[in-house]
Amino acid sequence: MTPGKGGPVLEVRDLARCFGGRDGRDDALAVIEGLSLAVAEGEFVTVAGPSGSGKSTLLNMIAQIDRPSEGTIHLRGETILAPGKADLNPGWNCQIGYVTQEDNLLPWRRLLDNILLPLRAQRRLDADARTRVAALIETAGLTGFERYYPHELSGGMRKRASLVRTLAYDPPVILMDEPFGALDAQTRTELHADLLRLWSLKRKTIVFVTHDITEAIALGDRVLVLSRAPARVVDEYRVDLPRPRDVDHLIAEPAFARLYESIRQSLARQAPKARRA
Amino acid sequence: MSRPGVVIAGRLLLGLGLVLLWTLLHRVLGDHTIAGLGDIAVRLWEIAQNGVLLRDIGVTMLEAGAGLAVGGLAGFALPFLITRVPGFEAALRPFIAAAMGVPKLALAPLLILWFGIGLLSKVVFVALVVFFLLFFSTLAGIRGADPRLIAVARVLGLRELMLLREVMLPSTLPFVFASLKVALPRAISAAVVGEFIAADTGLGSYIQNAMSQADTVGVFTGVIVVTVLVVVVNAVLDHTQKRAMGWRHSAIGGF
Repeated sequence: MTPGKGGPVLEVRDLARCFGGRDGRDDALAVIEGLSLAVAEGEFVTVAGPSGSGKSTLLNMIAQIDRPSEGTIHLRGETILAPGKADLNPGWNCQIGYVTQEDNLLPWRRLLDNILLPLRAQRRLDADARTRVAALIETAGLTGFERYYPHELSGGMRKRASLVRTLAYDPPVILMDEPFGALDAQTRTELHADLLRLWSLKRKTIVFVTHDITEAIALGDRVLVLSRAPARVVDEYRVDLPRPRDVDHLIAEPAFARLYESIRQSLARQAPKARRA
Repeated sequence: MSRPGVVIAGRLLLGLGLVLLWTLLHRVLGDHTIAGLGDIAVRLWEIAQNGVLLRDIGVTMLEAGAGLAVGGLAGFALPFLITRVPGFEAALRPFIAAAMGVPKLALAPLLILWFGIGLLSKVVFVALVVFFLLFFSTLAGIRGADPRLIAVARVLGLRELMLLREVMLPSTLPFVFASLKVALPRAISAAVVGEFIAADTGLGSYIQNAMSQADTVGVFTGVIVVTVLVVVVNAVLDHTQKRAMGWRHSAIGGF
């Protein structure tokens, strides 16, 4: 995977985000500081970082549901977010999809209606779209559950539904925030395979945040390692494992093991000093 | 719950116990304190025959219903409007809280001076009582809506009306039903109290007339009719709620 071909799709420059420090107090906590990254068209970038390293905050700002303290975000060269910009535009007119940690399905809508919701909102729900959605539901193994309410489905199925909901309206860039975090290992592996299969159908540009090294390598073309707060990108690893990848057997490959070890050490350097012997 | 047969038998037994207790009190305390059940039944039959019962039920329910519609809609809609302007809700809050603190019962005589002894004064009275109940719980529902769900809905392209219909309204629905459960009996009570003060028809006026003639049977009959109305209206509300919130019913059961 070579980034390039007319510059990055998504670019983050010198991003910073502080929390607190209200009422004139001088204890503002910088969660992110001087963070820059660029993602090429069709690239699957995974971002690994220790917990509390501002991974979700980073995605929230790219999705425009949070505002940076400093720095800018660009989509195809256009500045879409800067500290001075007046109004946030969540999802940047449906150009940026966001699959969050929780599935965030509407509890009062059936599975199919949840999946069709963005298409309805964007007035793009026609026969074509319905056919595409049906195919996605089939690929994600959700056929037969279209008329169920979210609470009637398993956690894994809800994650799949939330993934399909975003893939259905086809945003060029998709952000994912540890979407499989709360699931058991078996379901996770299944969902990794599902995600890679869905991604291979139409190579979207994806930024996938995780604290799980295996997941970061198995899915990504490139792994970015974040420092602990204030977070910035400290290391970058290209994943030269061939695609399509068999997630189940990937772990056995020597290339995987070498990469795993490098990333593990990189993350270990980010551990709090007290815990380093 | 155990077998439904046990529940039904228990209810019959309790009902029978109440009838016995009532009869006992009637015997001990006399006609003027506790009306006999037989006399009440006869009175009910009389006013059902001469049309007074239906007319008075109609008048009271019209007042309660119209007041509930006006006050309820206003109390439900206003929180959505005032939360659209940042800071407006916070500015308004102490005034609404103060207005809520005014004892509405004490306002009833004033409302009759302003709007006369007819329908209008009771409708306004009921509306006032209901408005605050709906207003505060709808506001709580809006504030309690999951901010992540709203943020994700916006990312998905939901704007304004659709965000309102798909996310905000369903989020407030449990709060609205909870407050309606309180508001419905209150609305009927408010209509009856309004009629106590000044009216020539309605169940409150019937009870008031009976009282002024020391007609204990009439007072009890009126109170029983009002009670039955409240119970019926609540049952209708429960049914509506189950339909409107069916999505959570299968998981949580009724509440």
